[in-house]
Amino acid sequence: MRSSLVVIIVLISGFLFGTAAAHESQPGSLEIKQLTRDRYDITWRAPIYYGKPHPAQLQLPQDWQTIGQPTERRRVDATVFHRVISTGGKSIEGKIIRFPGLEATITDVFVRLTRLDGTVMITVARPTKTWAELRGERPWHATAGEYLGLGFHHILMGVDHLLFVLGLLLIVKGRMMLLKTITSFTVAHSITLAIATLGYAKAPLPPLNAAIALSILFLGPEVVRSRQGETSLTIRFPWLVAFAFGLLHGFGFASGLSTTGMPKAELPWALLWFNVGVELGQLVFVFLALVLAWSFRALEIRWPRWAQALPGYTVGSLGAYWTIQRTVILMGGLF
Amino acid sequence: MKKKSAHMHFIFWLLLFALFFAWPASVLAHVEQGQAIGFITGLEHPWSGLDHVLAMIAVGLWGAQLGNPALWILPVTFPMVMSLGAMMGLLGIPLPGIEIGIAVSAILLGGMVLGEVRPKLYIAAMLVGFFAIFHGHAHGTELPAGQSGLLYSMGFVIATGVLHGIGILMGTIHRWPAGKLALRGAGAFIAAMGFVFLWQAVA
Amino acid sequence: MRRTLFNNMLFLLGVIVSAALLLPAKAAAHLVTTGMGPVYDGIGHLLLTPEDLVPAIAMALYAGLRGRAPGRQALFYFPLAWLLGGFIGLGAEIMPSFPLTAISFLLVGILIAADLRLPAHVFAGLAAAVGIMHGFLNGIALKTGPGGLGLLGIMAALFVIVAIISACIVSLKPPWTRIVVRVAGSWVAAMGLLMIGWFFRGQG
Repeated sequence: MRSSLVVIIVLISGFLFGTAAAHESQPGSLEIKQLTRDRYDITWRAPIYYGKPHPAQLQLPQDWQTIGQPTERRRVDATVFHRVISTGGKSIEGKIIRFPGLEATITDVFVRLTRLDGTVMITVARPTKTWAELRGERPWHATAGEYLGLGFHHILMGVDHLLFVLGLLLIVKGRMMLLKTITSFTVAHSITLAIATLGYAKAPLPPLNAAIALSILFLGPEVVRSRQGETSLTIRFPWLVAFAFGLLHGFGFASGLSTTGMPKAELPWALLWFNVGVELGQLVFVFLALVLAWSFRALEIRWPRWAQALPGYTVGSLGAYWTIQRTVILMGGLF
Repeated sequence: MKKKSAHMHFIFWLLLFALFFAWPASVLAHVEQGQAIGFITGLEHPWSGLDHVLAMIAVGLWGAQLGNPALWILPVTFPMVMSLGAMMGLLGIPLPGIEIGIAVSAILLGGMVLGEVRPKLYIAAMLVGFFAIFHGHAHGTELPAGQSGLLYSMGFVIATGVLHGIGILMGTIHRWPAGKLALRGAGAFIAAMGFVFLWQAVA
Repeated sequence: MRRTLFNNMLFLLGVIVSAALLLPAKAAAHLVTTGMGPVYDGIGHLLLTPEDLVPAIAMALYAGLRGRAPGRQALFYFPLAWLLGGFIGLGAEIMPSFPLTAISFLLVGILIAADLRLPAHVFAGLAAAVGIMHGFLNGIALKTGPGGLGLLGIMAALFVIVAIISACIVSLKPPWTRIVVRVAGSWVAAMGLLMIGWFFRGQG
């Protein structure tokens, strides 16, 4: 199986060009707070997109009037626009808020509306649906579906997570070990995802990303070693490594689930479905890799030596590249 | 080992069928509305005319009676010749007496099943092919305006194939004596219906 | 062997270019936005465009019917040729209005239905030619959208599709399963014929 997993790397590298940096892009957020009967406070946080101001704009309904002077503040990771509007006595129910320019990006925007009576509405605008509708309570399955999709999205975009899983697949031998390894990775990242989302612990993003890159770098030599028939702690107990680094990756997943201002009651529900989405995406990836490996065996493909050595070196060198890149970012952030 | 491979095959075909049915649905969800509906129209069309349905099933039944290799030569030949007929229709080449031809096809194919006639393979293939032209000409060209020709054709071809499949599946009862009799009865029914269609076409 | 392959490609390129020059038309491509970047957009385009997906699957079915060695050939030549055609297409100006894809429906469909054996180099040439043609049309279609990254995504998806499907077909044992594949091939050929018909009807 291992020798046949080789070409997946080639495929992965195709994805890398398009999505490598994607993981570091933060979601945007729009907060609407009701001040009086017809006045609302609006805060639009547009994340910095690949080092530039975000291409998406905020377009409010036309009959809303801005009161006072809108402000714009630049932060390290986002630009924050703030204004107060008056609806002119009309209801905001069913109003559409648009984000022109979002379709050209890979950013999701969380929209949160808090009313005077304390009720909260949350929705998400995304590149495929660049608008958000303000309305009352949503049925539970709408929320569930939303976060499921978000989690699925997040893992498929997170090339670093997928590469780590691929590294594990290249090391494990046999079905039982595969099952153990994938399960312990899942359990571990679920734990930290929950801890981070529920607010018990927090990992600052730049060092976290560097650490995740380091976990991939760590797997590279292990893949090569296991291919050469040598053994090590990782090769004998891959599930142990999967668990340890899984804890790290869980914090990474948490960065995709922005919970700023999410109502406490909705949090566990959103967390659950986001996690289910992540697991689903991971299962799809593992399944695809295994089926592909089976196909290569069925077609009796004999890989040349260099191609057999490729996966280990790819995992290792990409891990190294990311580690350096992210450490530089980390240093830049410190000074 | 053998058991395991049979298991694998079952899963494989199950997945294939699941894909087969799930994929058009997702296409429909994404391709522009007016276009996508073409697939549904095409899928439904062969079922809309009883004459067509009966003739298709008769092809499957006859193939099942004849056994290998007619069992698969007929369903392989039919869609291709049928699309040739449809192409004639699309190019505007007229075909006289279409309704009569279809009715006669039901009579003859039903008659073949009734009599369990076993002609030489190429004769059977030519007979089926000849009528396939009529069916294609009559049904393959009825695309509502604004719909995608390709999606309509896909639906149309797939639905026709499914009808053959139903005929072949029904034909598997051929291995029992009672089943043989039932098949011939079905042939008689199809032929009789063919006469009704013929009467309608002429009158 | 190399000569035949080259000749095949040259012939095909000639057909494409002359058709493109004779029949310029608007590029009526439906681009898909997955919201996950250009690579996934390309994959989405492939999966939701029956004109491309059906012949790709048909090619994989045919390769599988032919056996392991052709399966391996198709696995590498077909996606690469598609990518190559795609990059040529990115630079092309006009979309040929004749449904060139109908030709691959027809050709590959008939080959499957007849379960025809081809010499190894002819088979490789066929895979390359079909790949280049579809890639070329994809390149034109994706120019305004995902572009080259989309083409990479398509290539990756094709690789996976061809690997899995041809491996499945190769490992099919009961004789009736081959027949099912051949029937499917006849359906594909029928679709190709109908596509040509619709083109002349002006409703393609």
